[in-house]
Amino acid sequence: TATAPRPWRLFGAMCLLRLPRITQPLEKEEEDMMALMEQIELEKSHYSDHEIRKLEEEEQLRRRKESMYDDDEAPGKTVIMAQDLEDKWEQKLLQFEAAPRITDADKNNIRTSLDRRLDSNLMLLVKQKIGNQELWLLPQVEWQPGETLRSTAERAMATFLGDRIQAKILGNAPYGIYKYKFPRAIRTEGNVGAKVFFFKAFLQSSDLSQAELKEDYLWVTKDELGDYLKAEYLKKVNRFLLD
Amino acid sequence: MSSKSVSSHALCSVFLLSSWLPQTVPFRGSHWQTSVLAFRASLPVRAQPKKKKKVDVKREQAQKDRMKKKIKKLEKAAPEMIPIEDFITPLKYSGSNRVRSLAPLSFEETERRVLLLKKWCLFKQKQDKAEKKAIQSLVEAQQEALKELRLESEELYQAAIRRDEGLFPFERDGPNYTPPLPGYDPPEGKCVDITKVYTQ
Repeated sequence: TATAPRPWRLFGAMCLLRLPRITQPLEKEEEDMMALMEQIELEKSHYSDHEIRKLEEEEQLRRRKESMYDDDEAPGKTVIMAQDLEDKWEQKLLQFEAAPRITDADKNNIRTSLDRRLDSNLMLLVKQKIGNQELWLLPQVEWQPGETLRSTAERAMATFLGDRIQAKILGNAPYGIYKYKFPRAIRTEGNVGAKVFFFKAFLQSSDLSQAELKEDYLWVTKDELGDYLKAEYLKKVNRFLLD
Repeated sequence: MSSKSVSSHALCSVFLLSSWLPQTVPFRGSHWQTSVLAFRASLPVRAQPKKKKKVDVKREQAQKDRMKKKIKKLEKAAPEMIPIEDFITPLKYSGSNRVRSLAPLSFEETERRVLLLKKWCLFKQKQDKAEKKAIQSLVEAQQEALKELRLESEELYQAAIRRDEGLFPFERDGPNYTPPLPGYDPPEGKCVDITKVYTQ
């Protein structure tokens, strides 16, 4: 029944996720537990070679100070003490500077950059015109006969981010659905409403400088979705998003 | 057989001598006779090589069978266990000077630890329940979407049900504590792997 008119128009939408790049900060219970585990491990352990060497050298130093030995004990031996080694390593660590966990984009709240909120999932939101309204939505495109819904979603991604985007789509099945009826003015017998099927994908290339973004776009986390999406749409989208 | 040949040779030699031929070399009937007088001494014994062949073949076959039996026995025996090196403490760490000397734990400290463990238990239980609830809602949303799709069109539904071959094996580098530093030059060095490899 290819020519039979469909009462519901089909759309394929893509929820493109940028996975977190750094670990999330620990909760208080997790930190306490971590400290306890380290303490127990220390208590149950034996001395290592380095620690035994350190203890022996401390003994020697103490004995030398107490009994005022001459340096005939150790003729010509330039001894590197374990303590010196430890100091050297400490210095080296302090010289190294790691990249900051909270980036500039975070501080200035630039929501269009991919470098913000490195510890949580970011998803792409695009401003699209539906009917006569400009809405913030997950990028969607109408389904055309002859293609699967997954390829519709891929086409949606390509229209907004260009051809050379590298994303891993998680399977052939849709993750969620948003169904809405058109307002009474437009509704006809053969055109009741629309069904939007959501697909999930993980972004794999980390730089999107080559992507040509034509419309307004945003990269937002799950808790920021509420600022942009409508209530019903948000409810359906939240069901398939893991924090 | 041999006596007949000897007698014919003897007759030949007598005949030739009596015919007064100018041969003074003592005539030997056949090259196997070392002297005229010794007739039966050094005739070749040809029966022995035949026996050697049979016995050799039999012996070789018997040897091969024995070897095969030994190999089968070795194969049937249970394979030797590979020792897990992590579970065997090397002897040099069992000396008494290695034991750490720490003050014994106070009563408050043990109490604190027990209470912390209980809090941790509760925390982890809540975390686990939340995770399971999230997964449950994920599955429900997907089921609803597939149901709607089926109502819409059967062929699209079948295409959605199909297994995605390119999805697994899925690999991803896990999150680190800090993001990668652009332009960082790691120190040079070579890592030599000295793990012992056992074969069964």
